[in-house]
Amino acid sequence: MNDNNNKDHIKLSLPNKPEFVSVARLTASSIASRIGFNIEDIEDIKVAIGEACTNAIQHSSLNESDSYEIEFILDIDKLIIYIRDEGNGKCKKDIKTPNVEELKESGLGLFIIKTLMDEVKCISCEDKGTEIRMVKRIEVGV
Amino acid sequence: MALEIKKTFDKENDRWVIKPNGEIDIYTSPEFKEVLLDLIEESETDIVINGENLDYIDSTGLGVLISGLKKLKEKERNIIIINIKKNINKLLDITGLNKVFIVKECK
Repeated sequence: MNDNNNKDHIKLSLPNKPEFVSVARLTASSIASRIGFNIEDIEDIKVAIGEACTNAIQHSSLNESDSYEIEFILDIDKLIIYIRDEGNGKCKKDIKTPNVEELKESGLGLFIIKTLMDEVKCISCEDKGTEIRMVKRIEVGV
Repeated sequence: MALEIKKTFDKENDRWVIKPNGEIDIYTSPEFKEVLLDLIEESETDIVINGENLDYIDSTGLGVLISGLKKLKEKERNIIIINIKKNINKLLDITGLNKVFIVKECK
């Protein structure tokens, strides 16, 4: 995918520690606001990135000295976000709709991301890590 | 502080009320879990989550609510969520959890 040409890039590297996920959320909100998303879309992006970071930490090598990377690519009509970790690569390929009758405590994160963003792609490689690519388009004239 | 949790007993309705103030995410949900599960352990009443001052909750926080509800259901009790903000109501809606918990008086 050619996401790179002549676009503004912002990269962030965060330690695998829960206390810094809020930094990713704040950064994402600020970038989304800067490029003109409405308040509801900013909230969606914030929630989606929070879930992606949580996913990265939960599937990480459990080594808190490791880190994961977030890359924002600012396009005219959309925001592309990559979250890359070096964990066990056990991100599920098929994102299922949660069955509320089963009441499972986990597995909601990726489903939430998929619902809130316009495009989501999750690429996992066993023992090498996971990359989540997600896109939110800016709605014009709403 | 990212999260502050207040708990009070509502004598009139015979139930506990938990009021989280701030954000429940991967960092703060263990604390929320401890408060909620301890209360469920000790009490035999319904538990109300007053979301008036709750700004954000993620899937780990929702997971805590689900595990709390499972334990309460064993006692035939419920979790009642009141006064939640629009953004949090949206999450309960898309995950279908608004049909699992009793959700009242949304803002």
